[in-house]
Amino acid sequence: MLSQQILNGITLGATYALIALGYTMVYGIIQLINFAHGEIYMVGAFVGVFMITVFQQGLVISLAAAMLACVIMGVTIERFAYRPLRRSTRLAPLISAIGLSIFLQTLMTKIKGPQPIPFPHVMEDALYKLGPIEISKVQIIILVVASLLMAGLHFIVKYVKIGKAMRAASEDYDTSALMGINVNRVISFTFAIGSSLAAAGGVLVGLYFNSVSPFMGVSAGLKAFCAAVLGGIGSIPGAMLGGLFIGVAETLGIAGGFDTYKDAIAFTLLIIVLLFRPTGLLGRPIQKKV
Amino acid sequence: MKKSKICLILSALMITALLLTGCGGSGEEKKQAEGEKAATGGGTIKIGFLGAKTGGHAAYGVETLKGIKMAVEDINSAGGLLGKKIEIVEEDHGSKVSEGTTVTQKLITRDKVVAIIGDPTTGITKAAAPIAQQNKVVLLSAGAVGPGVVEIGDYIYRDVLLNSVGAPAVTKYLNEKLGWKKVVVVTSMNNDFSVGLTDLFKQALIENKMEIVGEQSIQDGDQNFAAQVTAIKDKKADGIIFTGYYTEGALFMKEVRKQGLKTVLVGGDGLMSDVFLKMGAEAVEGSMFFCGFAVDETKSTDKTKKFIEAYKAGNNGVQPDYFSVQGYDAVMLIADAIKAANSDEPEKFRVELAKTKNWEGVSGTITFDESREPIKSPVYLLEVKEGKLAVKDTIEVK
Repeated sequence: MLSQQILNGITLGATYALIALGYTMVYGIIQLINFAHGEIYMVGAFVGVFMITVFQQGLVISLAAAMLACVIMGVTIERFAYRPLRRSTRLAPLISAIGLSIFLQTLMTKIKGPQPIPFPHVMEDALYKLGPIEISKVQIIILVVASLLMAGLHFIVKYVKIGKAMRAASEDYDTSALMGINVNRVISFTFAIGSSLAAAGGVLVGLYFNSVSPFMGVSAGLKAFCAAVLGGIGSIPGAMLGGLFIGVAETLGIAGGFDTYKDAIAFTLLIIVLLFRPTGLLGRPIQKKV
Repeated sequence: MKKSKICLILSALMITALLLTGCGGSGEEKKQAEGEKAATGGGTIKIGFLGAKTGGHAAYGVETLKGIKMAVEDINSAGGLLGKKIEIVEEDHGSKVSEGTTVTQKLITRDKVVAIIGDPTTGITKAAAPIAQQNKVVLLSAGAVGPGVVEIGDYIYRDVLLNSVGAPAVTKYLNEKLGWKKVVVVTSMNNDFSVGLTDLFKQALIENKMEIVGEQSIQDGDQNFAAQVTAIKDKKADGIIFTGYYTEGALFMKEVRKQGLKTVLVGGDGLMSDVFLKMGAEAVEGSMFFCGFAVDETKSTDKTKKFIEAYKAGNNGVQPDYFSVQGYDAVMLIADAIKAANSDEPEKFRVELAKTKNWEGVSGTITFDESREPIKSPVYLLEVKEGKLAVKDTIEVK
């Protein structure tokens, strides 16, 4: 029973982690909390639904299409909503992000209506017994896709040139620009990767919970943001860990009868962790630049 | 120095401009208000609709409004009421409680309605009722089934099958006719309707000596029920009593099937919506809920049949549900009371409304008891069969 609940929690946590990565990468480079990120996740889910119902595509192609659509969207958003504000006060892009988030929610409500719509039937689900726990095909897909994407991200950041540039820009934005790194390109790339992960999260969650709605990005976005801060904002492994941590804690909380406080669990955890480790679980201490 | 002076002058100009436009606006508003007042005297009886056209409860509001409009058409085409036409003032509160009270206030103070029909949900009705009571406007809810509604005051009515009538009748039926002994109860904690219905079901379960083997709580708006379903999985219950609304009900059953459970769900009329069938698909097959009305060719009165035909004609052959019928009856109840009182003043016709006895409506027979609660018979138990709603049984209430 407990192990079953932990598995439920890990599945949920994996989707939080996918969204949290986008928050943390963007923050790591331009110190912006991209509040429209939850809406990118929502749009990703809708693109997935659209591909399945209108174009009769399978899960793999729909997932890829959702990721691609959100890459374009993420880069466009960065280009038109954040880049013009890069040299203004830190508050300006933040407000721009909140505005965008409201705009995207309302736009989707206008197009699809405010009601949650069912996620189309795309494959037969099955249940497998693994000792004391049962795992469904959908859960396996979520865990496998999320792990593959995160492994891919790790590879890019660690070994590929653009990934190295990302790390350099997050270390010191100005110096890396002086060293000849095209920082604008790096930022665009960061938004592209973050958005594609969020889109994948959206499609997977739609598949898991059977429903998508224009407002699904609000609470998922907030919790993923929590996960990013909890893990140490700016830290990629931190976001993964934070997401899993919050997913499991939330599920165990519901199982323990605290459903009413479900949304409070993530934030309570965040407060407790920040009290003892102000930089988050895996965050590095902030060094003042001289 | 120069710069700051220019700034000063500019801001002074802007303030004057603001003041000027402010004055102009209020003057115009006054004129408009006067105009509206004159219009009210021109021979219409205004009835307000309080409900959702958008948001989570939209399915209820939209259907209620359809019934209301049909009733108004019937009355107006037959010459109106006391020589006046009835006019419906529509508002949309988007399924939000806070908006619900704002809309109620607007209907009363701006539109000067004599009666309000709505809200279809208990939660928003309870929030809106004190405002109607304070302003002495009749509020008749065509859907609020939870406890604590008419207690708010003597201007507050409803024309529904009460949960306090339906839940005991259905529990008895489950026990005696279907042989259920053990159940799991699922409640949506941020939903007044659900919390109230759970209490009634629990009482009835105790009276019928049935066992509650598990209890789980959810929230309206939740999408993930994996933890709750895992928790009830090994309880071996005969069925799940689910007191929440349709979206969560359908998603909950999806998760139940996903985890390999074969149990069916029983609930109240909060599950009554196409969304429940569409979203739940094969997962809600066999699920049951009770309600105050269903289309049943064998038992319909002529009045009901006539309504069903008219509704079908206006809605591409779709059959009416509980909410449209209740909406229709609500207008007719108020109209009959206004006729009996020979006055459209709420203070006078509410007395006649309270005297309603064995009133034949489209949805069944309605009597208001001494505490103004409706007693309605029969209780319809519906079942999802091959993706459609079918009447499983009708349970007569004494």
